[in-house]
Amino acid sequence: MTQAIVVEGLRKKFGSREVLHGLDFAVEPGKVFGVIGPNGAGKTTTMRCLLDIIRPSAGSISVLGQDPRTAGTSLRRRIGYLPGELHLENRTTGRRMVEHFAAISGPVPPKHVNELAERLNLDLDRQTRKLSKGNKQKLGLLQAFMHKPELLVLDEPTSGLDPLVQQVFHAMVREAVDDGATVFLSSHVLSEVQQAADAVAILRDGEIVTVSTVETLRTAAVRRLRFNSSGTEAHDVGALLARVPGVANVAVRELKADGHTAGTVEATATLSGQVQPLVQELARLNLTDLVLEEPDLEEAVLTLYTAPSPRIGQSPGPGQPAGNGPEVGQATGRHAEGAHRA
Amino acid sequence: MPKILPLFTKALTDSWRSTLAWAVGLSAACMLYLPLYPSIGGSAQMQDLINALPPEMTKALNYDQIASGPGYTQATMFGLIGFLLMSMASVGWGAAAVGGDEESGLLELTLAHSVTRVQVVLERALAIVVRIALLSLLVFLLVLGLNGPSQLGIDVGHLAGAVLLFAALALLSGTAALFAGALSGRKVYGIAAGAAVAVLGYVFNAVGRQSPDVEWLLNLSPYHWAYGNSPVANGADWGATAGLYGISAVLIVLGAVALQRRDVGV
Repeated sequence: MTQAIVVEGLRKKFGSREVLHGLDFAVEPGKVFGVIGPNGAGKTTTMRCLLDIIRPSAGSISVLGQDPRTAGTSLRRRIGYLPGELHLENRTTGRRMVEHFAAISGPVPPKHVNELAERLNLDLDRQTRKLSKGNKQKLGLLQAFMHKPELLVLDEPTSGLDPLVQQVFHAMVREAVDDGATVFLSSHVLSEVQQAADAVAILRDGEIVTVSTVETLRTAAVRRLRFNSSGTEAHDVGALLARVPGVANVAVRELKADGHTAGTVEATATLSGQVQPLVQELARLNLTDLVLEEPDLEEAVLTLYTAPSPRIGQSPGPGQPAGNGPEVGQATGRHAEGAHRA
Repeated sequence: MPKILPLFTKALTDSWRSTLAWAVGLSAACMLYLPLYPSIGGSAQMQDLINALPPEMTKALNYDQIASGPGYTQATMFGLIGFLLMSMASVGWGAAAVGGDEESGLLELTLAHSVTRVQVVLERALAIVVRIALLSLLVFLLVLGLNGPSQLGIDVGHLAGAVLLFAALALLSGTAALFAGALSGRKVYGIAAGAAVAVLGYVFNAVGRQSPDVEWLLNLSPYHWAYGNSPVANGADWGATAGLYGISAVLIVLGAVALQRRDVGV
């Protein structure tokens, strides 16, 4: 079976500034493919090239077996697109907007629009200018999904959505994939992609750093480890941890406060890679407490963002620290919020 | 069930408010200016007053012809206030059709759906043509209705020709705005181009009529092409009519080609 999307040597220049430096990737049909990268990495530019909104400077693109540059309207009818910056007309309602796009890109099953609106908890009869950012985003999702396209190209689809609606979105993606659709989506934070995507491409400064599965990222990711053990000396625990491959940032201290018998040791460390060797070593200790946290893929990705790149050398590029900082904060904020709700 | 010309239909229905507003403005202009003819253009005192004005001024304002009903209608309604209102409406619509739509970020989503760029330009241009036709028809009917009561004495055939030129002149500045907007993706360039066609056309006509030394300016003025022979009094110059509509058609096609060839929304 042919690939849903094949991109080879894609370059894009705006004037003298090249923003895509030769991308190569392929998306298998029936899969969810995520692209993550900081703002300005080239995610939106790549997606616009797939839709023939902008034209590549070099390289080739095949979408559903056709070149978007020459395929014309029949190809775009098979695609559902959510732009990264969604702008809606002011003097209209969601329903009128959706009906207009259905008239162009239909046929749309009549009941389908109402079903989607209900699932997303979106009032289609409100004036669009009165909609919040999240509700506008829902309208954008609705127009992308409504004609049941074979390919969904979604630029930052969960941006502005609250956690409950994000779950609805992930369900919609799963159903589309179950019906045979392919999904190509982007985000600047991995947590939004990891739930949905089968494969993840990491894009930085117009180049693909790596393409891998979420599972692979998970093994490369860093876990935080904390445990207490009794009846041991601190330096023994330190030595034991030092033998385990992938363990770093070890901090060990003896607890001698009230309620603790002498010889209780608390250790914290980070682990990247296999869990099994660590567990084997820990089995030698008399553990009273053990926490091995869910791997923080965010951190795994951030190390890839900031790893030395041939193009920019050792120091991160100009916008990068500023770009990464708020995203980490945003991600932790969302996690905290999620935990709160649970 | 695919709808016929969905972008055209949408452009028309979306703009009914502004179309109505311009219609009210044009109606008010007709009904304020034309009934005044018997007391202004036709009166001997007024003629004395105009004769006392500097001839450069009367030529610039086309007031040298307001002694007759058709000349008065030509100078005031078609040549000045109606021209101004129609040009403003048309330039606004032309600049918004592609350039404004792209600048506000809306065009990207439309183009991601099952339309071609040529189709977007052509359907929206057609919507401008229809709106201008509606407003021009309204002006035709109003002038026709006031012809008797205001003692204008206009030949109906000449009036029809003049209205065709009136529409052609407005359409030209609108299509210039459409073309510049489609070329640049910016509304302001569309407004600038459309306004330039209207204003420079008017200025070249006003200056060109002053003396034989600057008469060559008249050749550069679409305003003069349309109104040089005072069509309300003398009937339309069909060559000029075809030329003006032809240029508009070319500008629309060029707009479609320009949009077809470039990146959108960057």
